[in-house]
Amino acid sequence: MDPRVTADLRYSVEVERPGMLHAAFVRSEVPHARVTVVEPPDLPDDVVLLTPEDVADLGLYGCQVKDQRVLADTARHVGDVVAAVAAPTRAAARAAAKSIEVAYKDLPAVTDPLAAVAPGAPLLHAQAAASAKDAVSIDVRPIPGTNVCHRFRIRHGDVAAGFADAEVVVEEVYRTAGAAHAPMEPHAALAEWEDGKLTVWSGTQTPFNTRADLAGAFGIDPERIRIIAPPMGGSFGAKTFVRLEALVAALARKAGRPVKAVLDRAEEFVTLNRHPAIVRVRLGAKRDGTLVAKEVDCWVDTGAYADCGPGVATKMGYAGVGPYRIPHVRVDSLAIYTNLPPNGAYRGYGAMQSVWASERTMDLLARELDMSPLELRRRNLLRDGDVFATGEVMHDVHFDDCLQAAADAVDYEADPRGKGLCVLLKGMQTPSRAAISVERTPVGFVVRSASCEMGQDVRQSIKLMGAELLGCEPGQIEIPDPDTDTSPFDTRTTSSRSTYMMGRALREAVADLERDGERGFGEVRNEGGLDPDTGQGIASTHWHQGAAAARVTVDEDTGRLTVEHVHAAVYAGRVVNRAGAELQNEGSMLMGLGTTLFEAVEFADGQVTNANLSDYNVPAFGDLPRLTHELIEREGAEVHGLGETALPPIPPAIGNALATLGAHVTELPITAERVLEALER
Amino acid sequence: MQPEWMAPTSLEEALSLRAERGDEATVLAGGTFLGILMNQGFLSPSAFLSLGAVPELRTMEVVDGELRLGAMVTHRRVEREASDWPVLARAFGLVASPRVRNVATVGGVLADADYASDPPAMLAALEARAVLRSPRGDREVSVGELILGYYETCIEPDELLVEVRVPAQPEKATYRKFRSRSAEDRPCAAVAAVNDGDKLRVVVGAVAERPQDFPDLCAGEAAEIGARYAERIEPLSDSRGSAKYRRRVIAAEVRRAVEEVAWTPA
Amino acid sequence: MTVDVILNGRATTLEARSDEMLLPVLRRQGLLSVRETCGIGVCGACTVLLDGEPVSGCLMLTAAAAGREITTVEGLDEADPVLRAFNEEHAFQCGWCTPGFVLTVKAMRPGDDVREALGGNLCRCGCYVKIEEAVRKCAT
Repeated sequence: MDPRVTADLRYSVEVERPGMLHAAFVRSEVPHARVTVVEPPDLPDDVVLLTPEDVADLGLYGCQVKDQRVLADTARHVGDVVAAVAAPTRAAARAAAKSIEVAYKDLPAVTDPLAAVAPGAPLLHAQAAASAKDAVSIDVRPIPGTNVCHRFRIRHGDVAAGFADAEVVVEEVYRTAGAAHAPMEPHAALAEWEDGKLTVWSGTQTPFNTRADLAGAFGIDPERIRIIAPPMGGSFGAKTFVRLEALVAALARKAGRPVKAVLDRAEEFVTLNRHPAIVRVRLGAKRDGTLVAKEVDCWVDTGAYADCGPGVATKMGYAGVGPYRIPHVRVDSLAIYTNLPPNGAYRGYGAMQSVWASERTMDLLARELDMSPLELRRRNLLRDGDVFATGEVMHDVHFDDCLQAAADAVDYEADPRGKGLCVLLKGMQTPSRAAISVERTPVGFVVRSASCEMGQDVRQSIKLMGAELLGCEPGQIEIPDPDTDTSPFDTRTTSSRSTYMMGRALREAVADLERDGERGFGEVRNEGGLDPDTGQGIASTHWHQGAAAARVTVDEDTGRLTVEHVHAAVYAGRVVNRAGAELQNEGSMLMGLGTTLFEAVEFADGQVTNANLSDYNVPAFGDLPRLTHELIEREGAEVHGLGETALPPIPPAIGNALATLGAHVTELPITAERVLEALER
Repeated sequence: MQPEWMAPTSLEEALSLRAERGDEATVLAGGTFLGILMNQGFLSPSAFLSLGAVPELRTMEVVDGELRLGAMVTHRRVEREASDWPVLARAFGLVASPRVRNVATVGGVLADADYASDPPAMLAALEARAVLRSPRGDREVSVGELILGYYETCIEPDELLVEVRVPAQPEKATYRKFRSRSAEDRPCAAVAAVNDGDKLRVVVGAVAERPQDFPDLCAGEAAEIGARYAERIEPLSDSRGSAKYRRRVIAAEVRRAVEEVAWTPA
Repeated sequence: MTVDVILNGRATTLEARSDEMLLPVLRRQGLLSVRETCGIGVCGACTVLLDGEPVSGCLMLTAAAAGREITTVEGLDEADPVLRAFNEEHAFQCGWCTPGFVLTVKAMRPGDDVREALGGNLCRCGCYVKIEEAVRKCAT
């Protein structure tokens, strides 16, 4: 019996260490202010208080832009941690945190990305430019003197000439609200120092990145930091890069004892969310439907700290081009600071926001051309050998198969009324590196991999691949939790890359084991990357590909939308863990459904107003439509990750279906109120 | 210091403690609403007056054709056992989740006066009365008299809501719960409608601080009644819809409810 | 205060503050299947069976459970048909919400609509399709 069924699995919230204290955080109540923490005179003796003075010696950190301090002395969002306490019990810590007074000297705040790039906007980070060099695998391009922490561009062909050549041009602006990952298990981390070495147990997807950032912040050698990553009760991108780890490490350093932090649900909403975005698409074509030119502009609200906003803005930029042959493309995607909680990795990593815009625009164009949306797409889909807007040559692409499968699932060609389609491409983290080791034991093997378990069943996938290569049963393979002291390096568990990359590394490791007899080590890389000034290079060594179709009905009196059927067709190449793959498709689709219909983090003056799971809805059993999907495989194909692919196509499929019923909605979520307004326009 | 825990084992004892302690002791029925307030840090009771062990409050019986629900009868019991009051059973059965319905009580949902709760609007439409008891005696109040505002009732500090009395349910009755978002969301608007053959009663819940009950508007065609309710009510705005949107929903859902109970204008 | 209950079939005396919910008290007893998640009783991850019916452990004052029977997943036998169905259908991903679902399914009555019975149990990983299959399997 799987330990997840019998409740025998222990999660990151359950780590305990002897003598540990519990942390609680003092958070800013205003969106932008210089803060002064007032130490109360009557703080109990067993409470440790951490103020900005205590961490003044620590450096800035941030996975792509080093713009975060362990404690903010300038609060940049409501919820920004300005002080922290540790106490023998969680209740005592929370009571102590409540007693800490904070004095605010308000600064002007911006809570909208367009306002943040308007002339005269208050600047959140005066030194945004300084951090470019240490970026995590992406060349960050801030615009100095502005709130733009990164701008990504694609310049492919000559768009002016392209649009001049176009016979039909459509243009539209789309908005997507921010969303909460809302993993069921909250963030949790525990830090312990011993003889100058820091160990942090953390529910994280990124142990090595976190180690590197902590090393920089604390000014110590990465080898003196050990990150252990227990399984998580869900993450979806929320538990990436430094979240609580620096805080508990600093508290533990001052307290001289281990310190553990577990967030409550309200805190989850001010820790990391999904990037709201405004995306403008302009698309030009010939009368026969051949696409000739496209412009995509993205304003990506990355919140108070960049986090991986630059990466998200980049991916959003090129995903917005779509899986199409277009000779002239301009993309400009800006990651913009605002005084809202930081936004970061979220399942789909920026693709959803631009695919929404891009695929809705395809249907607008189809309508202008009086052509079937299916036919318009078919005419322009990339095939093997075609060149994408990044200059890379496509291989192993099956967009047409994905699209046809989706269309067939809803009988699109028989009658398209009430139905919508979407086809997308999404990249996989490039460049990246994955390593794995295998050791023979008396009863089987131990495989060490830094791939972190968050429900995607990566350990089982590695066991299945290992069993095949080693000629044993999956149950004979033991995989300990990721541990930066003993697990070989892996870039991180994101971007749907783990099965593919670890599979390749495992093949090398097993070959090595066969030579050695007792142990083997394998390491693989995928090389590439994009020039941020031109967007040319290799965005992805292979592409995640998928399509979705939806059939909807609308109650015209209330605008309430009912999704009758949604289907996703995802290219898997070769399926390793079938149950796991099916669950990832289903889970992605459900998350896509939530995003489409009702998920939005709401703000008033920078304050989240729906920071609980009643006011913020996540899909429940009763929201399940007829939900079907398929995994497309090809003989001899590579494993293609699919932990995210079926999420981005859901909103456009539904939006396009709705448009056939007379409601053209450009903003997500597609609330009943918006549908009503759209029907009446 | 932990709060005092009082768990009387008879109604007499409970009433006596209530009269003695008044609002200084928090009355505990099912505890679901209280639990939320406590977990969110909005309430830290200094004493609990638990009604969980008072058997007299758990009776559910029909007396002279009238359903009498003890204040501690759970939503689940009404949902499963009120066979001759099927629309009332349905309204109770639509509340939240099975977990909530297994413990939340008839008395508690009225005393909490949560504007989004389902039972109050249905009970109002069925002309139910709540019995409030104190050392001074009993008084019966309508739902409209009981619920004064957001989370505010007319219950005096020495009173306990002990019973809810529901007259026989006419066959033509309906309860419609409109959710604008997830199927599990709190309602955006809800409509209870009862047609006893002579008169129509329509009560709209979840749109304002109290159930919206306008007998003077219940005449004419279904669409007219809907339009008038939408005009008369000043709905709230929240994550589930703006005031403007709620008005649209009220008009549509009231019309539908009236059509469902086959109201024929004279 | 002390509260006497029957916990997973055994007479047990729980130590709890009068204002303490069952959730933290049961976790102190080592019953880690009961999980702190939303704090407001909407997600179901802290579900326990009270006299066989599901309730939210985060909203149940321990003292109010005096004399009652409490069941958690730890009290189920490995041969339990619901556990086996969830295992065989792989109706889980991260597993955090799974105990809440298992107990709620156990309390279902023949004829109960699956989506209505399980509507109050949230699964962010999105396992509803396979959970529905697992429930169908147990029903037979």
